[in-house]
Amino acid sequence: MTKRVLRFCLFWHAMSGSRGDVIKAFAEDFNKTNKHGITVKPEFTGSYAETVTKALAAYKTGKPPHIVQVYEVGTQTMRDSKAIIPIHTLNRGDVDFGDVVQPIVKYYSVGGQVVCMPFNSSTAMLYYNKDIFKKAGLDPNKPPTTFDEVYDYGKKIVTSGSAKGGISFGWPAWIFEQMYGTHNQLFANQDNGRSGLANEVYINNAFGVKVLTEWQKWSKDKVLVYGGREYDANAPFLAGEFAMLVQSTSSLGGIQNSAKGKFEIGTTFLPRMPGYPTGNTVVGGGCLWVMKGRSDAENLAAWEFLKHVNKLDNQITWHKKTGYFPATNVAVQSLMNEGWFAKEPNYLTAFMEILVGVDTPAGRGVLLGNFVEIRDVVGAAIEEAVVNMKDPKTVLDAAQSKTNQVLKDYAEVNK
Amino acid sequence: MQTRFPNKILPYLLLSPSVIVVLIFFVVPSAQSIYASFFRSNISGTRQIFVGLRNFEQLFTTSEYLNSLQVTLLFALFVVVVGLSLSLFIAMVANQRLRGFTIYRTLLIWPYALSPNIAGTIWALMLEPTIGMATNAINTLGLHFDWRGNATHALLFIALAATWKMLGYNIIFFLAGIQGLPTEILEAGSVDGANAWTKFWKITFPLLSPTTFFLLIMNTLYAFFEGFGLIHVTTNGGPGYATDLLVYKLYRDGFIAMNTGFASAQSVVLLFIVASLTLLQFRYAGRRVFYGA
Repeated sequence: MTKRVLRFCLFWHAMSGSRGDVIKAFAEDFNKTNKHGITVKPEFTGSYAETVTKALAAYKTGKPPHIVQVYEVGTQTMRDSKAIIPIHTLNRGDVDFGDVVQPIVKYYSVGGQVVCMPFNSSTAMLYYNKDIFKKAGLDPNKPPTTFDEVYDYGKKIVTSGSAKGGISFGWPAWIFEQMYGTHNQLFANQDNGRSGLANEVYINNAFGVKVLTEWQKWSKDKVLVYGGREYDANAPFLAGEFAMLVQSTSSLGGIQNSAKGKFEIGTTFLPRMPGYPTGNTVVGGGCLWVMKGRSDAENLAAWEFLKHVNKLDNQITWHKKTGYFPATNVAVQSLMNEGWFAKEPNYLTAFMEILVGVDTPAGRGVLLGNFVEIRDVVGAAIEEAVVNMKDPKTVLDAAQSKTNQVLKDYAEVNK
Repeated sequence: MQTRFPNKILPYLLLSPSVIVVLIFFVVPSAQSIYASFFRSNISGTRQIFVGLRNFEQLFTTSEYLNSLQVTLLFALFVVVVGLSLSLFIAMVANQRLRGFTIYRTLLIWPYALSPNIAGTIWALMLEPTIGMATNAINTLGLHFDWRGNATHALLFIALAATWKMLGYNIIFFLAGIQGLPTEILEAGSVDGANAWTKFWKITFPLLSPTTFFLLIMNTLYAFFEGFGLIHVTTNGGPGYATDLLVYKLYRDGFIAMNTGFASAQSVVLLFIVASLTLLQFRYAGRRVFYGA
């Protein structure tokens, strides 16, 4: 008789709605089929920010979840929390991380070692309403590729009355980071916080000011419609209030479904400004972390579930139902073979976008201590500029000094 | 009137549940907050550095906190003044003996029964800047209301929603107050030839002062503490820092930024503000309140 061990695994995540349903289905399937008698219990614990906080609070009280989903902004925080088990230490050769899509595995690697299971990865891209483009006399198969084109097209759309606005953003602070990535500009020192803990950000440099000045110009001329800090811009985009939307690729499933029968959706890479080198759009979304504070047996149970999520079929289902990237190369290949990308070109856009980029420290994305707070500061700064019309340089200077203070305080206590 | 308990232990036993509740949910957390406000701790809370009064110093030297204070005061002023006047007016109307008014009176409490998050969601949907039904109605009047794209509108939006949510509560208390007024005084007023306006200002309003005073305190506390859910589902404190009420800032610093010490310092200040506000009201307004013979 083997000793009976607790094979129960708590999984906290931040996926509501249909995404949460997919997770529930994964867990149910796993509970029925796994040979170890493991029961995984997924629980929706609120927004990304709330989930991180709750998990760390639970760790303090000694009852952390076994697995927690943390968005990319929380990566440095999780690493420094000392409350996690880097998953490469659980891997006994049963998962080949070399098979994980490169930009994704690079984002979540530290010193060449994967620290969490890449799960829901996304990036940002431009969505546009082809019907509005046609109405405005624009070629629906020629979406804008530069900042100037976005502005010109937007003006045309607004003045022709085809829609009330030109463009809107989801997660503006993240899009601001994306701009640094695609134009190959470092967002913070220490190679974006990857060769050491960053203690200075470059948000108020000439590049940052230029981006925000452009956005402010768009906003002044009613080309940019400010759409809130997360997903609020999706609904008016679907209602045809404006023609273009910069949003996470993870919204693709939802947007395509809602637009079906109403208008045609086009997608393309993020617009760029001329005169800057090519970098890459930054991987966002979330990763699954195993937390410390539970028995070895339970940690292994968590690992079994992570392997289940990483399986080919589940990767494919996850991608098709949500729009998040399939995390593994085999899943991508299988999707290609079945002709999925040919049938669904919009799903290909996102994928091509991260693959055609250049792998540089700036393009790999930034790791910052207390990034959640920093993004909040940047989000407010963007609002000050594009909504309250304050001077971009002044706004970014203030955000810069606040952010550096945050980094300093963070470094002081998290050594 | 005093009742003497024959048993010496019984009164303490009867009091103990509420004392225990206050201890667990108020005294202990408050003490912990005060303690935590002198420290700065790391994310997992395993390391704490004593920083003395630096957290408090940081509060009053950062423009965000001062801005937050100002926004909260404006918000509270609106909620109290507009909320109380409007509810008193509605209560006066609802007090008329008209057909079907019992139903209306019952319905008036509904907004209060909603959770702040639900109220926020309803308002956010109705007044969604681009596709909201109410927004479209306002736009047809030639006005433009956009709480996402205009800082002043955002604060007004939050204040209106908060006021609306508290209306039912205020009306019920005002109604009860009005119905409890001695009718003979009002009749005497009528006999003396006072019109409705004079009767209201000279008789009803002064006689209602205990109710008004009570509601003043309740609404101020509400404005200081309960705006959270509303903001959380609508503006997130934005645009910029336009609707960054003290409670919301506290939440962001404590739970988003995980800056426990700094957030604790804020909660201590908040506690102090509300306590002194209540004291002030009692001392100043208490003298003017007419509690009847």
